[in-house]
Amino acid sequence: MSTIWTQKHKPQTLNEIVGNRDAKQQFLNWLKSWSKGIPKQRAALLHGSPGVGKTVTVETLAKELKMELVEKNASDYRTADAIKRFAGLASQYATLFGGNRLILLDEVDGIAGKEDRGGVRELTNVLKTSRSPVVLTANDAYNPRFSTIRKYCLVIPFKRPTVREVVSHLKRICSKEGIAANEEALKFIVERSGRDVRSAVNDLQALAQGKNRLAMEDVQWLAGRDRKEVIFDVLRTILYSKDSWEAKKAVSNADVDPDMLFNWIYENTPYHLTDPHDLVKAMNYLALADIYRKRIRTTQYWSLLRYVIDFMSSGVAVSRQRTKSSGWVPFRFPEKIRMLSRTKGERALQKSIGMRIRKRCHISATRSAREVMPYLKIIFENNPEMAAGLSNWLDLDEDMIEYLAGNKKQTKTIIAKLA
Amino acid sequence: MSYEMWAEKYRPKSLDKIINQKEIVDRLQSFVKAKNVPHCIFAGPPGTGKTTAALCLAMDLYGKGYREHLMELNASDERGIKMVRETVKTFARTRSIGEIPFKILILDEADNMTSDAQQALRRTMERFTETCRFIMIANYSGKIIEPLQSRCAPFRFSYMSQEDQDRYLRHIIQEENIKILDEGYDAIFEVSEGDLRKATNALQAAASMGKVIDAETVYSVIGRANPADVNEMIKTAMKGDFLGARKKLRDMILKYGVAGSDIIKQIHTEIFRSMLPDSWKVTLSEAVGEADFRLVQGADVEVQLSALLARMTEAGQELSRGG
Repeated sequence: MSTIWTQKHKPQTLNEIVGNRDAKQQFLNWLKSWSKGIPKQRAALLHGSPGVGKTVTVETLAKELKMELVEKNASDYRTADAIKRFAGLASQYATLFGGNRLILLDEVDGIAGKEDRGGVRELTNVLKTSRSPVVLTANDAYNPRFSTIRKYCLVIPFKRPTVREVVSHLKRICSKEGIAANEEALKFIVERSGRDVRSAVNDLQALAQGKNRLAMEDVQWLAGRDRKEVIFDVLRTILYSKDSWEAKKAVSNADVDPDMLFNWIYENTPYHLTDPHDLVKAMNYLALADIYRKRIRTTQYWSLLRYVIDFMSSGVAVSRQRTKSSGWVPFRFPEKIRMLSRTKGERALQKSIGMRIRKRCHISATRSAREVMPYLKIIFENNPEMAAGLSNWLDLDEDMIEYLAGNKKQTKTIIAKLA
Repeated sequence: MSYEMWAEKYRPKSLDKIINQKEIVDRLQSFVKAKNVPHCIFAGPPGTGKTTAALCLAMDLYGKGYREHLMELNASDERGIKMVRETVKTFARTRSIGEIPFKILILDEADNMTSDAQQALRRTMERFTETCRFIMIANYSGKIIEPLQSRCAPFRFSYMSQEDQDRYLRHIIQEENIKILDEGYDAIFEVSEGDLRKATNALQAAASMGKVIDAETVYSVIGRANPADVNEMIKTAMKGDFLGARKKLRDMILKYGVAGSDIIKQIHTEIFRSMLPDSWKVTLSEAVGEADFRLVQGADVEVQLSALLARMTEAGQELSRGG
């Protein structure tokens, strides 16, 4: 399963694609017209700014109309030669399986460069003669170099969807992910993305993954300059300046959620302070910052935040004493945040298996996770018959069996033996 | 082959079937004879028969319908004061019908109860002594508050000898028709360290492979069943690989759901078992104690234990320099 939300929550039907009703309809009509013979325009040019749904519309329609989608990224097909080879595909009627073929040449902006004149000419030939529908996508259809291409294409403009449309898309995702999201917070994300659906979904994932609620405070730090750059700047100052004042200033000026920042610093510090002596100091300061975080949570005494910031910025900065710079080390996304969301479902499942074990085995659900489940896993992976018997005895559901068996095939074998 | 967990299937159903803990069994049998049981604490390491002895006592005492007179609670799953207020009181106060006028309440993993809950239990125990006897089961009786301890008869369970363990396993092996080499027995004893639940589970998992059980099978089963290998994590840190050690820590906490308090307990044990110079053992122990206290206060498990791992990485480096 893909963990990128833009993939995971990709629209499955034309209706689920955000906005652009007219454009989608126009494109659908043109595609359907191929069933009555080759139409006047053998190609369609979908254009619009990034993240408005051009490519996903093509992919979804191909699936709905059961067409074979041949997808090429234009940036790989810039030269005349490559386009000629590609043209071979377009000149055939249908696929081996009798279905229709739809050829997608994504991001043709790439071919419009100076050195690709031959490429544009060759592409024009393809568009004139193709026996299968060809779709081009571009950000800017009015680039002068497209003037010839445009003549042979049905030009369909894609507009940015409204804020409301994108917000309701994000809401759908949130409900699937089990996140209670504040409407204003979602609106904020969408507006900041410039109504670019893909970018909005990516931002939502970065902000909300692994949480069960998303509030305005969680998203506000998106404001200002590019957030990633802000965080990277702060990290650079903390890990390399050795200057307590600079480090502290960097954090206070960054306007980034301190909790989020803490996770970034905690993740990255050991990669940059490699001398064990320095690392001990830095990790101790981070542990101290963590204690103050806890104190804030229990007392709600927010002015303690200044100590959290001191320890995680200046504390880490002054810890660099012996570590020598060893060239450029990339910053990493906090693994803890990533793992928390990845293992959330797993932990819930573990707990429910534990409750079933408890009913039978005179052991707490908590302890069974360590003392019984690991052995069950080995049995379920190796011995479907014994596994089936134990599933009955423990009254396990199918998803529990799958968790213990580790894969779908073994799960099926076990379930077949249950009957 | 049979389709239950063997640890349950072959759990003794009567006191006279318990193979070790001779003195304890004798005393419990005398309770049965007298038809009177005091409040008890069963303390001892895991897999030494504490829960089994409590269940057997109830079975011998009440006979077939023992379930009506018995309640089993597990403090790890419901450790708060609410449990004592509601569940325990409701069960404890009603009188049992039958020859024996009291019921038995088994409170397993009682050392995981909060001290508030233990305080609440103190009164409940006293008030309902007539109708209910408590058997508290714990790994460390020291974690049970004094006032409770003084109300209970203490029983100290100890690890099983290899001879006893082998005898118990041999019975299962015959019943289940398994093939095992002698080295298999030795390996199981070595890895289970006298913990009979662990031994039985390892045996069943090894048997599920469908081959003759040799030492190698046993080691591979145990290796796979113990992702929470604290020892391995410490070694990784001491070798200087802090990042590798932190990765192991994360897996334990997030993937396998091991509690922070359990990890820290094991770290503490491992430090004193290790080959470290004594002065380092004490230094590290101080750091472990501080981390432990912080966890109790509710700090983040991973962050606090990472700081501890960094300390071990440093120790490893200084030791290798010192020769």
